[in-house]
Amino acid sequence: MPAAWHETVADALAQGWRFAGLYATRDGGSPCIRAALTREGEPLVLSCLADERRTASIVDIVPAAAWDEREAHDLHGWAFTGHEPLRPLVDHHAPTSRWTAPLEGRDAHQVAVGPIHAGIIESGHFRFSVVGERVLNLDLRLFYKHRALEAAAEGVGHVQAIAHAQRACAADAVTNAVAYAHACESALGLWPSEQLRCSRTLLLELERLWNHLNDIAAICAGVGFAPGNMLFAAFKERAQQLNAALAGHRFLFDSVRIGGGDLAIAPDDAAGAREELADLRHAIGRGWRELAFAGSLQERLEGVGVTAREQVERMGGVGPVARAAGVPIDARTTSPRLTYEGFAPAMLEQPGGDVAARMEIRGAELSATFDLLDGLLDGPLQAAGCTRVEDASPAVGTGVVESPRGQTLCAVELDGGRIARMHLRTGSYANWPLLALACRDELLPDFPLINKSFELCYACVDR
Amino acid sequence: MYVLLRQLHDLRRAIDLPPPSARGSLALRHVDAGSCNGCEHELNAVAGPFYDLAQYGLNVVASPRHADVLLVTGPVTTRMAQALQRAYDAMPAPRLVAALGDCALGCNVLGAARELAGPLEDLLPVSVRIPGCPPTPQVIAEHLLAAMTGQPVAS
Repeated sequence: MPAAWHETVADALAQGWRFAGLYATRDGGSPCIRAALTREGEPLVLSCLADERRTASIVDIVPAAAWDEREAHDLHGWAFTGHEPLRPLVDHHAPTSRWTAPLEGRDAHQVAVGPIHAGIIESGHFRFSVVGERVLNLDLRLFYKHRALEAAAEGVGHVQAIAHAQRACAADAVTNAVAYAHACESALGLWPSEQLRCSRTLLLELERLWNHLNDIAAICAGVGFAPGNMLFAAFKERAQQLNAALAGHRFLFDSVRIGGGDLAIAPDDAAGAREELADLRHAIGRGWRELAFAGSLQERLEGVGVTAREQVERMGGVGPVARAAGVPIDARTTSPRLTYEGFAPAMLEQPGGDVAARMEIRGAELSATFDLLDGLLDGPLQAAGCTRVEDASPAVGTGVVESPRGQTLCAVELDGGRIARMHLRTGSYANWPLLALACRDELLPDFPLINKSFELCYACVDR
Repeated sequence: MYVLLRQLHDLRRAIDLPPPSARGSLALRHVDAGSCNGCEHELNAVAGPFYDLAQYGLNVVASPRHADVLLVTGPVTTRMAQALQRAYDAMPAPRLVAALGDCALGCNVLGAARELAGPLEDLLPVSVRIPGCPPTPQVIAEHLLAAMTGQPVAS
């Protein structure tokens, strides 16, 4: 079985399927590993049953699966032949030497940071191996916020369990909820109506708007450029106030449900929202131009924290991080359950993969988001539902949605009306290993800046 | 730069804030004990240009040694319980503990019991309770100002 598993995954990759996530579950009572892959928006789920919970590792052909395998080991007791050393990821009981790279040499030492950080920041622990101020290596220890949301969702009705996906993370709450809804609806053989596709796309782009504004503000803060930070924080506030006006919540919580949507926007409100968005877009454009000419900001961003294109492709990077390095992947281009017809992701002329490029790509993506929002609000939105389709109802429902941080996968296995297994793999989960690599050979004091340019969540990774 | 500052200036004038009349100040130290990051975003907003709590004497500080108030978010995971206790122990007395958000208040908490050490009330002496999922910046501001002045919360 282990050898066959490796071969099965290798065959799928050879046919153009792209890895989207791997998780441990049970199939007919037997322990099982599943790998989810995508190709042109189509899902493929591969399964490997093994009573002894041991199979071949696929990290040699899919380096992106490294964290997935480590998680399956720590939480579900799986062993992966060929994954050496299999370092602890979720397990916090292992000694430090088991999850950090060995360090020796004159003046080399470790700097430990966290789990509590010096600002209003999520909790997580970083081990920097440094010489002087130069970072040799960064080892991450997250999962301080592990609430076992996936385990808690098991046995819960699939209609209620959307809360477990959504509240995994406030920043990507809509993405996580839509990915979960898509997964459930595909398992139930439901297809969203045109109205529902529009209202979910609207919610997703509203989420991207406030997140990108937040991230631009955060990058300004990362170099201590207070006027830029304050201004974009104020733009973010305006975007969140618009969220509250349109959907009743500043983070758009509880705006997504299974099999339908209750978002209704009257013609006058839609017109008002368009006006506010046009005004906000104009103000942001002025602010953005100022940032472009602020030398003390721009010169601190260039060439810092480079993530090369090859690295992104090898490690399975996603979202603005991947696109800033010139990799044009965006789940929005292959989302038939949403309304992104003809969408092409914004790309940079010179995708340097540095902090400057990650800043620049967010500015470019804001423009596309404003265009999408303007089109979606060109008329009223009504509560909407799904239609039943005959040919669908796979054993494993999957949903793949582009969050502000990149491709998010949700896999759902139903047992009647209840959740047998729910797995969420967010854009942040895919990109954390790349952040660690981007810090190598950089200065330790630049870590906050590099970190902010990725702006990854801890909450949805830890779950 | 001028345009940036001009835009910020206009923004401040466009917002209706009550005058900062109360005396005194509070230094706040935040600890995320397993939140979804919603409370963090709103707390950042409170410290940002729209709400600007600094004008009332409320400041977020980098160390618990400088803090009067420990602002705790999240349901308190078992993995954060020790770090939270140490942050509290590092604070000088007198000190206050504030539960920020429904999770910290033990309301509608999601997760498996084996991974949760909370509710916060059972671990530390909570005296400020800020409800909401997440509480809006306005609500956070009202509760913190009430804690500073000893007045009841207005709304």
